Amino acid sequence: MTKTATPQSSGGDVRLQGISKTYGSFTAVHPLDLTVPAGSFFALLGASGCGKTTTLRMIAGLEEPTTGTVELAGQDVTVLPPYKRQVNTVFQNYALFPHLDIYENVAFGLRRRGIKSVKKQVEEMLDLVQLGPMARRKPQQLSGGQQQRVAVARALINHPQVLLLDEPLGALDLKLRRQMQLELKRIQTEVGITFVHVTHDQEEAMTMADTVAVMNGGRVEQLGAPADLYENPATTFVANFLGTSNLIEAEVVEAGGDELLLKAADAKLRLPAARCSASARTGEKVLAGVRPEKVALRHADDAGSITEGHNRLPGRIKDASFIGVSTQYVVDVPGLGELAVYEQNIERDGRLVPGAEIVLHWSPAHTFGLDATQDIQAGADLDEEAA
Amino acid sequence: MEHHQQPEPLSAVELAAMRRSATNGRLAMTRRSLLRAGGAMAAVTGGLGALAACGIPPAGRTDAVASQDHSRKEKRLNFSNWTEYMDVSDDGKHHPTLDRFTRRTGIAVKYTEDINDNDEFFGKVQAQLAAGQDTGRDLIVLTDWMCARMISLGWIQELDPANLPHAYANLSAQFRNPAWDPGRAHSYVWQGIPAIIAYNKKATGGRKVDSVSQLLEDPQLKGRVGFLSEMRDSIGLTLLDMGKKPEEVTADDFDAAIARLQKGVDSKQIRRFTGNDYTTDLDKGDLAACVAWAGDIVQLQNDNPDIEYVVPKSGYMTSTDNLMVPNKARHKENAERLIDYFYEPKVAAQLAAYINYVCPVDGVREELAKIDKKAADNPLILPDKEMAARSHSFRALTAKENKVFSQKFSDLTGA
Amino acid sequence: MTTTETPAPAEEQTTAPLEVRKTPARKRLVPYWLLLPGILWLIVFFAAPLVYQASTSIQTGSLEEGFKVTWHFATYWDALGEYWPQFVRSVGYAAIATALCLLLGYPLAYLIAFKAGRWRNVVMILVIAPFFTSFLIRTLAWKTILADGGPVVAALNSLHLLDVTSALGITEGHRVLATPLAVVCGLTYNFLPFMVLPLYTSLERIDPRLHEAAGDLYARPATTFRRVTFPLSMPGVVAGTLLTFIPAAGDYINAELLGSTDQKMIGNVIQSQFLRVLDYPTAAALSFILMAAILAMVTIYIRKSGTEDLV
Repeated sequence: MTKTATPQSSGGDVRLQGISKTYGSFTAVHPLDLTVPAGSFFALLGASGCGKTTTLRMIAGLEEPTTGTVELAGQDVTVLPPYKRQVNTVFQNYALFPHLDIYENVAFGLRRRGIKSVKKQVEEMLDLVQLGPMARRKPQQLSGGQQQRVAVARALINHPQVLLLDEPLGALDLKLRRQMQLELKRIQTEVGITFVHVTHDQEEAMTMADTVAVMNGGRVEQLGAPADLYENPATTFVANFLGTSNLIEAEVVEAGGDELLLKAADAKLRLPAARCSASARTGEKVLAGVRPEKVALRHADDAGSITEGHNRLPGRIKDASFIGVSTQYVVDVPGLGELAVYEQNIERDGRLVPGAEIVLHWSPAHTFGLDATQDIQAGADLDEEAA
Repeated sequence: MEHHQQPEPLSAVELAAMRRSATNGRLAMTRRSLLRAGGAMAAVTGGLGALAACGIPPAGRTDAVASQDHSRKEKRLNFSNWTEYMDVSDDGKHHPTLDRFTRRTGIAVKYTEDINDNDEFFGKVQAQLAAGQDTGRDLIVLTDWMCARMISLGWIQELDPANLPHAYANLSAQFRNPAWDPGRAHSYVWQGIPAIIAYNKKATGGRKVDSVSQLLEDPQLKGRVGFLSEMRDSIGLTLLDMGKKPEEVTADDFDAAIARLQKGVDSKQIRRFTGNDYTTDLDKGDLAACVAWAGDIVQLQNDNPDIEYVVPKSGYMTSTDNLMVPNKARHKENAERLIDYFYEPKVAAQLAAYINYVCPVDGVREELAKIDKKAADNPLILPDKEMAARSHSFRALTAKENKVFSQKFSDLTGA
Repeated sequence: MTTTETPAPAEEQTTAPLEVRKTPARKRLVPYWLLLPGILWLIVFFAAPLVYQASTSIQTGSLEEGFKVTWHFATYWDALGEYWPQFVRSVGYAAIATALCLLLGYPLAYLIAFKAGRWRNVVMILVIAPFFTSFLIRTLAWKTILADGGPVVAALNSLHLLDVTSALGITEGHRVLATPLAVVCGLTYNFLPFMVLPLYTSLERIDPRLHEAAGDLYARPATTFRRVTFPLSMPGVVAGTLLTFIPAAGDYINAELLGSTDQKMIGNVIQSQFLRVLDYPTAAALSFILMAAILAMVTIYIRKSGTEDLV
């Protein structure tokens, strides 16, 4: 075990340069560059088959990149086999050794590195994941959540530079998943190791990660902090996959200033030029987007009281669902189709029922602009499918 | 517990497989708990009583010897024989001699090759015959010592000479009066099987091997000598070599012959005691010289010019395979007519041309010469007077002797 | 869930208030009726022959006089005293053949399970193909392979390997046939598929991610095999060794065709006693001793290998 240097307590950075993976004629991952800063919680988010797991496996050494290099903490590890990399993985469905008890599962990595006295470390680690009393049970005698924690403990005990997590919470029920998200985040903060987390659950990615890379079709669509991605999606895929977006096809009527003036159906919409990721010359098409919770409803009779300068669209309520904290409306806008609106239940207007004529309005600052040549539906239904 | 034998034909391999699975306890491992329950049940219900209840009745205890003969009504016949012991047409689908018999007599022959081994066949039919039941066979072919056992057990019907004019007239003198069936009251010879010495010229380096003494003592042959696992042939030839007559073998003679062979085993002169598989060994030269059955040698010589045989000066053993009608057979007369048919020289010649054992029928030479001149001149198929005079056969043994001798021979062969 | 549910429907309560929870007797017996064919099968083909055999082993007599149960247990001692060399030899040959089967079969099964890819089915068929011919024919084929003048013996001779094996007493002069080596070769060959198939089944069941996990946790491939793959394939190893050892110990065809007088196994003795000597009690007693010995060895083996719950 000469090649595996003594583990360090802090994480290392991961640098992927031009790595790609093809299987025959199928390209799982297109050449991509990615840097995961040391000590960060990084999420690879995407639907199944988007290449996120393949990327993770290339970092772990379980998959050999077709092109490109993998660097861990400044060392090129592209050709190193997994057992020589300072990386540990929490596998999907955990891959615990069924013939070993929990104690031996957790001790496995230490023993392989020739460490004689593992007792103290294993016990500490089991305490960290609150499984001390289960030490002598076999994995199949534990619940899903417990197994998940064993998998984390088994990986973490080795103090890897980078911890890779492949859909670690996928097999858990919703409540446990939320709990474990917080737990993992806590552990990450405590140990300071770099986490690379693969998930299809956008909420999970946003809750836990410092940085999220949204992957689609073997490419990184967009990379950034969760709030940044949410507020400023660069593609229709990100707009639809991360939360919900209303995307409106519009034509640029006036360009040049800080604001673009758009025409959608009969309405005029304004969009800050800085928030438009597409080129927007006069006469060109763009997609104007706005998040449902940013949109407000006003009964048509009160249309006059809408703040001056807001984008507004007339429509009729098609459907309203009360879900406690908010009410979700589906509004039919003539010429533009259906738009979603989430309204906080602060002061409920009794007139806002299906069939009511209303006006939608929002601040132009909340509008974002996307390239209209993209598929407007990209990523819209993938979230539920993958889950 | 009388129906313990396998009712239907089983190959040696199948038998072996059954025996293995019955003795290996594999089932016991996988069905542990079930077996425990089953075992307990058997112990409670059956218990020791069950053990005591299943003796084997004396074999000879059959009262109903004569069977109701249905020959006149049922123009049929069930004939059980060894494999490759009947002429076959070129297309391999017909037995011409049997077809002719059917055409002539109207008796349909159901010919089954279900005898592979005397002992095995005995095991197969033993229970039925002991219980006085029909075996479903009207005509069977077994080797003389087994015939002797079955006749002495009273399981074989006496034949009616009136139905056997050709057989009575044409049976070779050599075979007329065996001690175990005086006057051929119960049996007629199907084929004679001389046991002689054969060798592979190439393997012996051109040396001639002509006696049992040479087989046992010639250092050039060390580790490449085979004897037959058929006790009477191997011991018989050894006795003749020692100047004793197998027809009058005593326990002391037998022991002396065993001792002689044992020396050959201990000195590694003898490689193996073989069944039918010796032919390939001899053909390849793994056995340089061995005790062999003449019919096999005739066939081997066709393909391999290095195979030679010698009829030892001291004499050779001839055993016979014999046609018999077991008790309770439904078609005894039909069977007798078939026996008689095969004693017509023309029919016998046709058979002799096809299977290369000793033809027991006089007056065949001319007919056989018409078909196959070479076969007619081969003393292994039609022995001349001088050759016939040197033929010997083993004394019929009592059951007790048979057990003792078999045990000793078995020990000699390592099992 | 049902226990916390509302009580049984009211009408049932009124008609049979005391028997609400009772299943009708007929219904309760259903599983036993379903077991019946199996039990009958076992009684007819296993228990009855066993009782019959047990009875035969304590009888005395002869074919002519008949055999009677005389509780003659001495047959067992006599048989054991007379034939213990063949017993020892059977166990020895079977154990060696089983070990060889494991050595040959494990890499083969491993290859099929993990490396064969789309050739997997083809290789599997190749493993099973010998079964399409009879046991006897397959064994006879080995007489040609190992013939004194054949290429195998010639090669072994030119390497002077036969000198070594002769010195060790497992071959005889410059030949392989009619020696212990030939018998063990035959046993190994004939029972190899019984080793490969269970091994393959248990290897194939191993989640490949466990290999990845081991590699990820700093285990080199060899260590992964030792610590993960092999322990997880233990059920296959145990099943395979049993399926090989048990029939090999009772086999007589290999010894008969490939061996000489000094290689006869207990199966040959049983066959000879049963068919030639017509000493049914001794044959039955030998069968029982063999059965008991194997059962005892197998029980100890399973205990030791600690796979009772896995088999």
